Amino acid sequence: MSAINNLALMGFDGELSVRSLNEPVSISVPAGCSFEAHLLQFDGTIDLSVSLMGADAKCAVQAVYLAADETHSVLNLNIVHNAPKTFSEQKIKGVLTDRAHMDFKGIIRIPTESQKCEGAQNHRALLLSDKALVRATPELEIFADDVKCAHGSAIAALDEKQLFYLMSRGIDETQAYHLLVQAFIMDLTPEMWMPYIEQWMAEHV
Amino acid sequence: MSLLEIKNLHAKVGEKEIIKDFSLTINAGEVHAIMGPNGSGKSTLSNIIAGHPAYTVTSGSIIFKGKDVLSMTPDERANSGIFLLFQYPTEIPGVSTAVFLKTALNAKYQFLKKEPLDAVGFMKRLNTRAKALNVSAEMLKRPVNVGFSGGEKKKMEVFQMAFLEPDFCILDEMDSGLDIDALRLLSAGVNVLREPNRSFLLITHYQRLLEYIEPDFIHIMVDGKIVESGDKSLALKLEEKGYECYK
Ligand SMILES: Nc1ncnc2c1ncn2[C@@H]1O[C@H](COP(=O)(O)OP(=O)(O)OP(=O)(O)O)[C@@H](O)[C@H]1O
Ligand SMILES: [Mg+2]
Repeated sequence: MSAINNLALMGFDGELSVRSLNEPVSISVPAGCSFEAHLLQFDGTIDLSVSLMGADAKCAVQAVYLAADETHSVLNLNIVHNAPKTFSEQKIKGVLTDRAHMDFKGIIRIPTESQKCEGAQNHRALLLSDKALVRATPELEIFADDVKCAHGSAIAALDEKQLFYLMSRGIDETQAYHLLVQAFIMDLTPEMWMPYIEQWMAEHV
Repeated sequence: MSLLEIKNLHAKVGEKEIIKDFSLTINAGEVHAIMGPNGSGKSTLSNIIAGHPAYTVTSGSIIFKGKDVLSMTPDERANSGIFLLFQYPTEIPGVSTAVFLKTALNAKYQFLKKEPLDAVGFMKRLNTRAKALNVSAEMLKRPVNVGFSGGEKKKMEVFQMAFLEPDFCILDEMDSGLDIDALRLLSAGVNVLREPNRSFLLITHYQRLLEYIEPDFIHIMVDGKIVESGDKSLALKLEEKGYECYK
């Protein structure tokens, strides 16, 4: 792939705008504010750090990565709960094919004084090739004791039963893959990004 | 010419042989029923006809409309006119039933080199078939088979079949898990599809289904092959005596 055209939409309290991801991005979220980020990664490195600075600061990150060919991509999400009563949620889904490699690191840091925080992280990857590789490392640095923190990671191949069911109704293998891949990432993708995803699928799936 | 001809079929999963010298010929317009004990290979046979990759055919042939089925992919078989109503339909989260059916129908039209239906034509066909089977608009919006009860799943399978208008329908235990009203409704849904050039293979454990959908032939399948064939009366004999005499 030539130029890296990763996409990001982010902002506060629902006011989202496009943002470049070529450099590491650091965001501070003041008390009472909500920060939201949507990422779509094809290649390269994305570094996003968010510090929750005051009570009721919230952060929601939704990231989708689509990795093909021989790409080696890195996604670092670093959430720091710098104040008590702050909330974060990360949802990440990825699709890999060919010999693509992905390094996903998701940090949730809750220092001792940041009580009553909640942090959640969920990562799921779909491997379309047995040569593709995902390394997912959740790092939970939880020092406060009165907090809620949840994380999960699952890496799986496409469901053979679903594939056969679609094909048994006349849908060819490529189209069946497209339907299933799209279904997998749909909930984390803003509508306006669908054309980019369709283009990627047409080229790589 | 027969519509479907299965000759001396042998098939295995892993190292285990499940279909053992199975032969069956079905002509256009005929309704055949297969009955047989649990584990005798009925669903395996259905899956092999539809092209499930888990099974390996070691010898024998399946010819459909004069063409070698075993060399076709599952989607080619479907688009040629084979439909399998699954004993256990698969749930597909994230894919809406309407989108799924539109994709399937377009694929079939493309395969047959026909112009695809436009949006209006598609909705019309969808709604007509849905209405006849009591499938609500809400059910069509849901992801494929997700969250449906056992009986509702079977209803959606019959609906898909009616919508796609195949020439050869394999109904693998359509009747299991259906209440009496649903059994009547779905059987009627199948009966309206009976036509001189459409054939059916019913797989069932119960004589009752065969009262609603009357077969021309009944075959008893035990341990991977047909051990007896006859007309409707065979089901009654079976109801009385069970499979003991075949073992
Ligand atoms: N994918 C598979 N892997 C392993 N064994 C299998 C597989 N599919 C079928 N079998 C075995 O093959 C045999 C036949 O199974 P099949 O489902 O075809 O039976 P059936 O006649 O449909 O039974 P039932 O009436 O209970 O539906 C069983 O012993 C089953 O365990
Ligand atoms: Mg069965």
